[in-house]
Amino acid sequence: MSSRKSLIKIKPNSYKDGEIVKVSFMVMHPMETGMRKDKTTKEIIPAKYVNSVKFEYNGKVITTMNVWESLSTNPVFTTYMKINGEGKFSVTYSDSTGEVHEKSMKIKPKG
Amino acid sequence: MKNTIKIALSLALVCSLSYASEQFAMSDADREMYAEMLEDNPADIMVANGGELLEEFCGGEAGLAAFFKISEDELPAYIAGFPRYLEEFKQVVGLDQALQGLMHKNGHKPFALKSSDMFDMGSYAKSLANGVKLQIDIDANKHMKEAYALGKLTFEQKRGSRGLSCLSCHSPQVIGGILRTQPLPDIGSNGNASAATWPAYRMTKSSLRTLQRRFQGCMNNALLAVIPLGSPEMVGLEVYFTQEAKGSEIAIPGLKR
Amino acid sequence: MQRRDFFKQLGAVATIAAISPAISFADEAKKPKGPNDLSFKAALDAITGGKGAVESSKVSLKVPEIAENGAVVPVTVEVESPMTDSDYVKAIHILATKNANTRCIDVHLTPANGKAMFATRIKLGDTQDVTAIVALSDGTFLSASQNVKVTIGGCG
Ligand code: HEC
Repeated sequence: MSSRKSLIKIKPNSYKDGEIVKVSFMVMHPMETGMRKDKTTKEIIPAKYVNSVKFEYNGKVITTMNVWESLSTNPVFTTYMKINGEGKFSVTYSDSTGEVHEKSMKIKPKG
Repeated sequence: MKNTIKIALSLALVCSLSYASEQFAMSDADREMYAEMLEDNPADIMVANGGELLEEFCGGEAGLAAFFKISEDELPAYIAGFPRYLEEFKQVVGLDQALQGLMHKNGHKPFALKSSDMFDMGSYAKSLANGVKLQIDIDANKHMKEAYALGKLTFEQKRGSRGLSCLSCHSPQVIGGILRTQPLPDIGSNGNASAATWPAYRMTKSSLRTLQRRFQGCMNNALLAVIPLGSPEMVGLEVYFTQEAKGSEIAIPGLKR
Repeated sequence: MQRRDFFKQLGAVATIAAISPAISFADEAKKPKGPNDLSFKAALDAITGGKGAVESSKVSLKVPEIAENGAVVPVTVEVESPMTDSDYVKAIHILATKNANTRCIDVHLTPANGKAMFATRIKLGDTQDVTAIVALSDGTFLSASQNVKVTIGGCG
């Protein structure tokens, strides 16, 4: 199921080799700060936030991020990337409780 | 004028109403920035999940078209006509209820109307009609006429300890007034076109919500007893809102404060 | 509390306030301490190694003037840079000056990004400045700041 909890978007949909495209990674994540109280139980909700994200393209690291609890729930990470041949774009992310996930997408430039 | 003041007073009891709007008026640049956020709407994840659920439990778009006895090409226009009277149900139903029927027919236990799986799948199904104009026909038959009348009644009827109705806050006279820092939205085709932009990602709730679920939010806040999803009154309200926004292009998922 | 202690504290706060006028001690007292709490000054020092950052028009920071909802505030940072191996933006840091942990995200870019841009959404507890600190490949630091007013409320 975890693969359904995140999404990679590349814009435009179709691109050429050498083109600079916009990449977005979105993930369903509570981004709990550890400072919020549960409204009913009044207990502090333990911290659980994405703390690192890595963008890789055919095994080469493009962008890495240290993330803190102030990012919004279900965070979005958007940057650019230069298309450089066919292959795989992958995102690895971990959270403060030690969970690690990966999501990837095929890169297929046209012409 | 007197009437407006009376409404304002009863509203003030629930939330504080002010018309000092310029203090909170958003600049065009701000509005544009929020509009740009639609490009990366977190609800896209949920809608994509909905697409996989539709494949798994309803046979995808082909299964949906077959269930409605239409071709796949006709699906977007057909979806844009919901809520509809469906013979199998002997009543006017929302798209989510139609999906429940299809799940049942396929031998699956239908998702509850209030489940996030149903929100996801229903949003995906409605997004198949993105770009198509809402084309509800409230004169199609007597059932649609009745559903519209019930919806209008539910919209206008004062209820709850504050004696408020939906109309108290959503009438043309009060649109743009500020209620607890939020402008009262125009739900019709000249404004938010609510029926064309819900299901939407609700930023304050960090989740994908349907139009009927949004109705419940207002009921809660205005101290009106909450009506269950899928009930004739709720479907009627959806019919009413869809008629108000008729002609607006469907754009799912929306993104709301 | 002793009157003298109170003034001593006030003095200490005043020196901080001179650097970051956004800090108000009434707020500080209310907030529970989080494990990552870090003031803006400390974060700026850590990022720039004490060198500080120069405000620059090369850094474009886009945030709303008025956030309609503090839980989801869009932030976009764009930096003028050729993004070549010899001249590129190494990192973009986004800081919410008044949040208990002022750091939101550190983004480490490479020339393979092609363009120096990063966009996300942050939580702001209160009206405050949002600051972007940009690390360039030549070891210098640029910055841009903008105030965001946070409104709360609404119905439903
Ligand atoms: C006390 C005033 C009040 C009452 C009564 C009220 N609403 Fe609302 N409604 C609001 C406000 C204010 C908003 C915008 C809030 C926001 O942006 O958070 C809103 C938003 C909505 C929206 C979302 C509009 C959009 O597309 O963004 C819908 C749908 C809605 N109301 C339906 C209803 C229905 C149905 C009823 C009656 C059951 C109702 N409301 C009663 C104040 C009210």
